[in-house]
Amino acid sequence: MNRAFFGAMFRQQRPKLLKFSTGIVLYEGLLTWVYPLISKNSAVTDIVDSIPSTVKTVFGVSPKARADTFEAFISAQFLARIWSVIIALYGINTANTLLSKPIDEGSLVFPLSTPVSRTNILTTQTAVLLSCNATLIAATVLGLCVGTFWFRIRIRYSRYISLGTLALAFFSLISSYSFLFAAWAKDGEKASAYAYGLTFGFYALDVIGGLSKRSAWVGKFSIFRFFKPQEVLEGTFDPSRAIIGLTAGSILLTVITIRIFNESDLPL
Amino acid sequence: MIRLEHLTKQYPSGKGIRDINLQIPYGGAFGFLGPNGAGKTTTIRVLMGLLQPDNGGARIKDLDCWQNRTEVKHVVGYLPGELHFPDYFLGSEFLELMRRMHGGKFEIQNNCKQLAEHLDLDTKQSIRKMSKGMKQKLGIISALMLDFEVLIMDEPTSGLDPLMQQVFIDLILEEKKKGKTIFMSSHQFQEIERTCEQVGIIREGQLLTVQDINRIKQMECHTFEVEVENEEYAEYLHQCGLEVYRDKGLSFIIKITGNFDSLWQVLSGIKVKKFRQRFLELEEAFIQYYR
Repeated sequence: MNRAFFGAMFRQQRPKLLKFSTGIVLYEGLLTWVYPLISKNSAVTDIVDSIPSTVKTVFGVSPKARADTFEAFISAQFLARIWSVIIALYGINTANTLLSKPIDEGSLVFPLSTPVSRTNILTTQTAVLLSCNATLIAATVLGLCVGTFWFRIRIRYSRYISLGTLALAFFSLISSYSFLFAAWAKDGEKASAYAYGLTFGFYALDVIGGLSKRSAWVGKFSIFRFFKPQEVLEGTFDPSRAIIGLTAGSILLTVITIRIFNESDLPL
Repeated sequence: MIRLEHLTKQYPSGKGIRDINLQIPYGGAFGFLGPNGAGKTTTIRVLMGLLQPDNGGARIKDLDCWQNRTEVKHVVGYLPGELHFPDYFLGSEFLELMRRMHGGKFEIQNNCKQLAEHLDLDTKQSIRKMSKGMKQKLGIISALMLDFEVLIMDEPTSGLDPLMQQVFIDLILEEKKKGKTIFMSSHQFQEIERTCEQVGIIREGQLLTVQDINRIKQMECHTFEVEVENEEYAEYLHQCGLEVYRDKGLSFIIKITGNFDSLWQVLSGIKVKKFRQRFLELEEAFIQYYR
């Protein structure tokens, strides 16, 4: 990794990162403020209980999970669907900005004209992307911790840290295949289309898999099955194996991306 | 110092370069001329390790430009033909990044300041707000500030005004004095003529000729257009013993090899309405390859 290049690239990402983090933290602030009011209202809990399990699955809420906890509330309202889609799209967009766009525009010619190897340039860009994902996830977890502390909602902090680690591994995998498409297609639009297409494909498989028992097998082909925020927060799912598997997948994809990038013609 | 051997690189479209052989010695300056799409930029991209040759190879300081592309960058200052800077930087920030990616030597910073002064560029401006000419100056600074042994420049004066083109030529002459090896593609005959010792012409991917500029100058042939006042002078021109061709009406083309004494002698005996030199020396010698 090249420190100078890392600093410059991370600085380029900073404004977007700040906007996303601020938006997430403010939304979490709103949810944690509203939760005590809702949790005291038993009618709301009854409504949630009466929702069919299929619909709950579509919205990322575990059918077996309790409906009266903060974990169930924050997962249904934010973490299971909205957050995962936001971070996935952010990862793809950032991968595009860091690799396909500079190849497309030709601005990558400047770092490539320095005595920094292609492998080093790609690992630096990967480090920037991971740092951006980590910052966004840290802001999310920190926002929830501060929000719950402020509104005196009791949570198990260690489980939120586990969720953050799982999220980092999960979104790194999405970012890794986005990078792979960028290095392979060398065309910003194509690379984005492949990455968005694959991610929405996985998302759709996950939703279809949750609709009925008969279609449950479809969900097994989706990487979203590894991302279970509510179960992690409630302590009913140990994310260690998923974290290891997703990280291994990311490393493998990065190695392939480096190989492709090293062997490619770059007519910049 | 720079050696191309049977260098071939074809794009899927069929365009590219074929079997290019070339050698530039230490301290030599080579000008690469040719029409658009002839293969100048492709050759330069191979030299910079951006493209892998299909056949043959390119070497700089005995390092293979593809296999040892990272090591090659320790000795090469490069100015690309198409300048697309990351525009979220200030000019100075971009130069600082390049300096640090080249190992962060302090001397580079000094060179950078001097070059910015020479080229009259305020590097504290945002790249986004810079004009094409200003970006070109920034690219020139980023290539020259490194003070490396080899300079590879793709159409370096594109977008510069005539005054700055002159400043650029002066800078290159300074670099030559320091013993740098220069490989420069251009459409500007004058720039090549004033800075390079060797010139090569490439067309449709093939290197047509490589010639020594001093030899061309020794054999220099100048073409002039002369318009005389009446038929009597026209007749006089025809019989004066110079190489004279009638262009149209009372206009003539006169070709002179060697010194101009005979031309001045003839012209002193007639009334001339118009007189102009047709091409610059090098342009005259090479324009046929462009057609």
